[in-house]
Amino acid sequence: MGPVRSLRRSSPITMIVGIVLIIIIFVFLVSPSSSDSAASQLRKANAASNPLSPPTSPFRKQNEKSNGKRIPPPVVHYHMNNVTSSADPLGNRETILILTPLARFYQEYWDNLMKLTYPHELITLGFMIPKNREGNAATAALQEQITKTQKSGPMKDRFASIIIERQDFDPPLASQNEAERHKMENQKARRAAMSRARNSLLFTTLGPSTSWVLWLDSDIIETPSTLIQDLAAHDKAIIVPNCFQRYVDPKTKQPAERPYDFNSWQDSDTARDMAEKMGPDDILLEGYAAMATYRTLMAYMSADGGDPRQEIALDGVGGTALLVKAEVHRDGAMFPPFPFYHLIETEGFAKMAKRLGWSSTGLPNYKVYHYNE
Amino acid sequence: MLPRHHSSNGYPRHKETYSISPHRFQPRTTPAAIRRRHTLIFRSIVAIILCAFFFFIWPGASILPVLSLGLLSSGEDFQLETVRYYDLSNVQGTARGWEREERILLCAPLRDAESHLRMFFGHLRNFTYPHHLIDLAFLVSDSKDRTLPLLSELLEELQADEDPKQPYGEISIIEKDFGQKVNQDVESRHGFAAQASRRKLMAQARNWLLSAALRPYHSWVYWRDVDVETAPFTILEDLMRHNKDVIVPNVWRPLPDWLGGEQPYDLNSWQESETALALADTLDEDAVIVEGYAEYATWRPHLAYLRDPYGDPDMEMDIDGVGGVSILAKAKVFRSGVHFPAFSFEKHAETEGFGKMAKRMQFSVVGLPHYTIWHLYEPSVDDIRHMEEMEQERIARENEEKERAERMKKIKDQFADPNSQWEKDKTDIQNEAMKEKKEKEQAEAKAAEGSAKDAESSTESKESKEDSKPASKPEAKDEKTETKVEGKDAPAKAQ
Repeated sequence: MGPVRSLRRSSPITMIVGIVLIIIIFVFLVSPSSSDSAASQLRKANAASNPLSPPTSPFRKQNEKSNGKRIPPPVVHYHMNNVTSSADPLGNRETILILTPLARFYQEYWDNLMKLTYPHELITLGFMIPKNREGNAATAALQEQITKTQKSGPMKDRFASIIIERQDFDPPLASQNEAERHKMENQKARRAAMSRARNSLLFTTLGPSTSWVLWLDSDIIETPSTLIQDLAAHDKAIIVPNCFQRYVDPKTKQPAERPYDFNSWQDSDTARDMAEKMGPDDILLEGYAAMATYRTLMAYMSADGGDPRQEIALDGVGGTALLVKAEVHRDGAMFPPFPFYHLIETEGFAKMAKRLGWSSTGLPNYKVYHYNE
Repeated sequence: MLPRHHSSNGYPRHKETYSISPHRFQPRTTPAAIRRRHTLIFRSIVAIILCAFFFFIWPGASILPVLSLGLLSSGEDFQLETVRYYDLSNVQGTARGWEREERILLCAPLRDAESHLRMFFGHLRNFTYPHHLIDLAFLVSDSKDRTLPLLSELLEELQADEDPKQPYGEISIIEKDFGQKVNQDVESRHGFAAQASRRKLMAQARNWLLSAALRPYHSWVYWRDVDVETAPFTILEDLMRHNKDVIVPNVWRPLPDWLGGEQPYDLNSWQESETALALADTLDEDAVIVEGYAEYATWRPHLAYLRDPYGDPDMEMDIDGVGGVSILAKAKVFRSGVHFPAFSFEKHAETEGFGKMAKRMQFSVVGLPHYTIWHLYEPSVDDIRHMEEMEQERIARENEEKERAERMKKIKDQFADPNSQWEKDKTDIQNEAMKEKKEKEQAEAKAAEGSAKDAESSTESKESKEDSKPASKPEAKDEKTETKVEGKDAPAKAQ
């Protein structure tokens, strides 16, 4: 009995050990949830109270009282003077909207998106998908990936908000295949429809708190994982990396790469003269032998081992990957679906931005890669 | 030992029911056990206090993850919805939107508009379109008065209204300063030189407002100025019924009677003319044609001038430029990229450029010449000057009348005095005459000499009175003017 009693007797040392243990357990239990919820705290803080809120923020479902009465939405102030788009988007916690007109869903595109190192709780994704059979297939594939990420994926992979929109007009071309898409006579109608899709997506999702808009085509399957930080670091109103395509050279059987997007260019006198002589509804196109404009194309300006930070001024930009400060779009710069100074879509966008006082910049040695069909 | 002991005592034993025999040693609850229980209680109390203490330290940490050992740590996130799906073909906008629950975005750019807000909220409360289908978006920029606090106050009031039909849908107040240098008073607002840059800035504000507030669920967008004084409550339905992409009513304003009672106000709704197109070709890239100024004679048919007060309010007219006082447009117009150019688009900016751009994208742009809303009358500087002149004229006229009245009175006084004097004199004379008669009767012989002397003395006294009056007046006037001059000098010196 003796030793048992002495064990049970409460000595101050066991008391202290017990208390310390309890503290350690508490710290262990409480601290992990508080540290991993820094992002989820932000999500909660940004969450809106109803589904009418700006689509760039998550929302709570309920907006009815238990008795079925509508709760009037609150009066919300947005301090747009405080929305910055600076060279240090991470430090300023700037939100970015990634917009993608989606015709086909490529798994590589989504995987590349997931690899972006910019904090996902600051990223909103917006998709515009046409209402046809291909579009339905793309929507289904996309939604599957979204569910995987947003519902069951780790917190750090989840995006702040995702918006899927279905186009309200039919695409002018039945086929999305490469050869058909790039025929010159189809270009105007195709790119006008593309402009409408881009504008619809942009103006319904921009919202009051977005700092940057990244246009990323659904067939861009490889980018540096620091794409957003790298492009934003230049602190330019409109900045476009060089879009290339990887392929296997049929002669050497070696993997190689070739320029893909020819819409980023510096204007030439020849092109200006051609524009002068054109009718008001004609457009200038790039990359077609029948229409030699002699513009300086960024696609051909990349040098092996060149400085990826090298900047050049541009007059027309391509839309495969394109980072734009939100204020440029807010001032009204959009993708003209009609010939604007004989330019259309992204090229017309660069021109319209120029008319509003914003200039475009290209990075010839900073590459993103297009899908190869 | 035990079995013997057991058999020796004669008590009946039932092992199943009662195990403790009274003869066995039964320990009392020892003080040691009590002590142990006490320490147990003490420890549990300490634990509870510790728990409470930790909840004070981490009030933010929810109790749930602690109790469930972190298994349900994302409990709240399950309620957060992050994916939205919209089919834009459901929000095209139809003629009978209220039946299909189509949502309208009402946009109102505000700057130093405190004085108009209450009137505007009066209009809001009266709209017959279901309020919960209307989302309100305000852009408050560069305001120096109490626009912002008053606006939030009125909106909170509106959303908290007892009547369930009053509260609106989503309400956004967007604060953004553009650092506008142009003043907002009437003269600088409508002066010709300031127009181009002023309208570009206005366009910028409109675009910021729209791009921040337009959502995928909107079917219509309604632009409304806050300084509309009178408009039909059913204006949204009335305009929607026409089922046009862009539609504007006629905007007039009431005037004071001396200016003719009423006047066309919004001259930005017009049809394009050959003259104007030719003029546009001669101007440089950044020039902006502004309507309603003699500098640009465009000879365009204006919606405003075509109004017939008794005309059919449903009559439509195709137009190319639109005014911004009250525009109803389908949201798809804005979605497809039409906006308010903050640059010279086909030589036009802001709402006129908006009309031009909508036309360029093959949208229908229509005005209703006989459906009129009334803009508030704010007197222009010219009007104010004119009104001041009129006021001065009125005062001058009053003064003149007063003076004339005074003069009349004075004249009357002056003529009345001698009359009474005359009367007096007459009575005096008569009295004298009576006296004389009496005296005559008493002493007829001396009467003729005495009456001649009296008459002489009375005329002398009258002359002296008339001299004294006019002489005193000018002196008093001089004194007055002198004091006025002194009064004027004083502030001049102070400056």
